[in-house]
Order: sequence, then structure tokens, then C-alpha cells
Amino acid sequence: MGEYLDLHVIPPPEDTKVCERMAELLRAAHYSTVGVTLTTGLLNERVRSIRRIFEERGVSTVLRADFNPSSRTELLRILRRFRNAYDVIAVRCTNQKAATVACRDRRVDIVFFDIADRNLRFSHTFARLLHGAVEFNFVSDMVRNSWAFSKIRKAILIAKEHHSDVVLSSGAKDQWMVRSPLQVRALAITLGLGEVASMRGVSSVPLAIVTDNRLRRSSDYVEEGVKIVVHEGR
Amino acid sequence: MATRYMLVKIICDRKLTNEQFHELLKNATIRYFGELGTSRIDPRIMKFDTASSTAIISCNRDAASELQSALALVSDYAETPVSMLVLRVSGTVKGTTKQRK
Repeated sequence: MGEYLDLHVIPPPEDTKVCERMAELLRAAHYSTVGVTLTTGLLNERVRSIRRIFEERGVSTVLRADFNPSSRTELLRILRRFRNAYDVIAVRCTNQKAATVACRDRRVDIVFFDIADRNLRFSHTFARLLHGAVEFNFVSDMVRNSWAFSKIRKAILIAKEHHSDVVLSSGAKDQWMVRSPLQVRALAITLGLGEVASMRGVSSVPLAIVTDNRLRRSSDYVEEGVKIVVHEGR
Repeated sequence: MATRYMLVKIICDRKLTNEQFHELLKNATIRYFGELGTSRIDPRIMKFDTASSTAIISCNRDAASELQSALALVSDYAETPVSMLVLRVSGTVKGTTKQRK
């Protein structure tokens, strides 16, 4: 069995009990790594303690930040400031121009669209521009929102047509929204993504994002394709 | 007809009985796939353990994804929050209880 990742888990920073329960369930569901999504203003000590809760229960963590830029300029400013501070950078697309830049920019790992947004959705244009991966937050979007089915299905079929990298996540905000990778994968299959792409969406695609960014943030990294193998004097 | 078996962990603040779980399962599949879809999925409870809140459910092999999806979308039962985790899927009942390597 492969390694499963859920790159969009949003634990409530103020509620340690909920964080602990989420970590236990994610472990029981066989996740090896989760992307802990926290606000940028949180103190480093609090971030460390939340990550420790997950890691003590056998789930390794990567730090993810979700940005919601209202303009292209704001997105570029955010990327300059935060790219090196987080393992995974995700952009919630609510603005056409910012979404275009987010899809095209190499520094953005993941883009995702607000399912309730009537004006902007994942389209063929964005699929053609996409450099990173598009994310679908199945559980947070679909539980109690039957109308979200058709919207997500349309977006999934576009991603499939363009062979875009797809990341499948739960978007869990509490312990009630945690689902196993088998279920997240099954939802994608049911909505038409295909078995192979669905499996990649919970395992190899998010794993590649995490591995690439870990390498990029390491001191041995020089630029894409170039890294220091042996330091002088060793 | 080929069958798939699933080990399901029920997360709920109160203990559900076999009958309540059966109702929950039936309602979930009918809500998302309708009567016709439910007959195609053919979900059945093979084992239910109230103490550990786990169940083994069988379904038609070709509709295993549909059943897992329906279980993923369950969020409450009688205004109590509930979630269900599919922990393992196997072709045999014994396979669902094997330890993961």
C-alpha cells in the first residue's frame, strides 16, 4: 500500500482537543503526511505545538498557507514574502486576474476554487495555464451541499481532459470532516476522474509537491535541476 | 456476483445500534444514488460491533466506489454529528481484519 497525503487539513489553533482527535483519526485512516493549514499571523510557538500534536500521533506534517489575493499585484507580493516560509503555497482563486497569475506562476503549488463562487470556476483557460496542481476539497465542499456535485464534476472533467495534476483533499476543519484516502479517492472516481488519476491525487501528486518543496527549501538547493552533492572539505 | 467487503469505523459521540447503522447506511445510499443505485450497490452489514463502533459491510464489487462515496458524505444521524471512515477494502471478510503492513 502506498503513502497517503491530505494536504488540506485546517485544525482550529485554539482548540487542542479537536486537533488531537483529528490527528488520531488521520492516523487511523492511514495518512502518513498532512498539510496543516494555519493563518500567517499565528505565533511560531503555537504552530510548533500544533504540528507536535500531529507528529506525536505518527502523522508527519507540512506547513501550508492558503492565500486569497484580490489582485495580481497582491498575489505577487504575497509570493515574494511567503514562498520560502511555507512548505506548500495554495491560492484560493476568487479573482480572474489573480487566478490567471496563480495558475501560471511556478511558485504556486496548488490552486483551488471556491465552489460557492458563481463568477469564477475552474475552466479550460485555467487548465491550459496551470503549472502546479488543482485541488478539490471534497468533504468540506460536498457534505451538506448536494448542489456542489455538478460543479465539482464539471471541474473534474476539465482537469481530466487537460491531464492536469489533481490533488484530492478533505479540507477538514474538525474531527467530523476527516475521511480516509480510500473514500476521497472513491468520490473522485464516482465523479468521473478515473481510477489512476484519483489514486495519484491522494498519493503521488501531493507527495511530489512536498518532496520538491523540501528539496527547494534545503540548503543544498541551488536552482531547478542543480543541487550541492558534496560540500568542500568533507 | 463478485463482492467487496469494507471495514468501517463509525465516529459518533453516542453508540449506534445495528438497526440505527442500517438505517444510516440505507439513507446515505438512497440519498446520493437513489433506489436504483442502491439496488446496484446492494449494501449489506456482515458484522457490527457496537463496543468498538466498527462494521464490515459487503457490496457489489463494481459499485464499491459508490458505497465508499456515500459513506464519505454522511455527516449526521438524528442531529448528532457522525462520520464514517472506510479503513480497508478487501475481497474477503478475513482480508478486512488483517493488519496493514
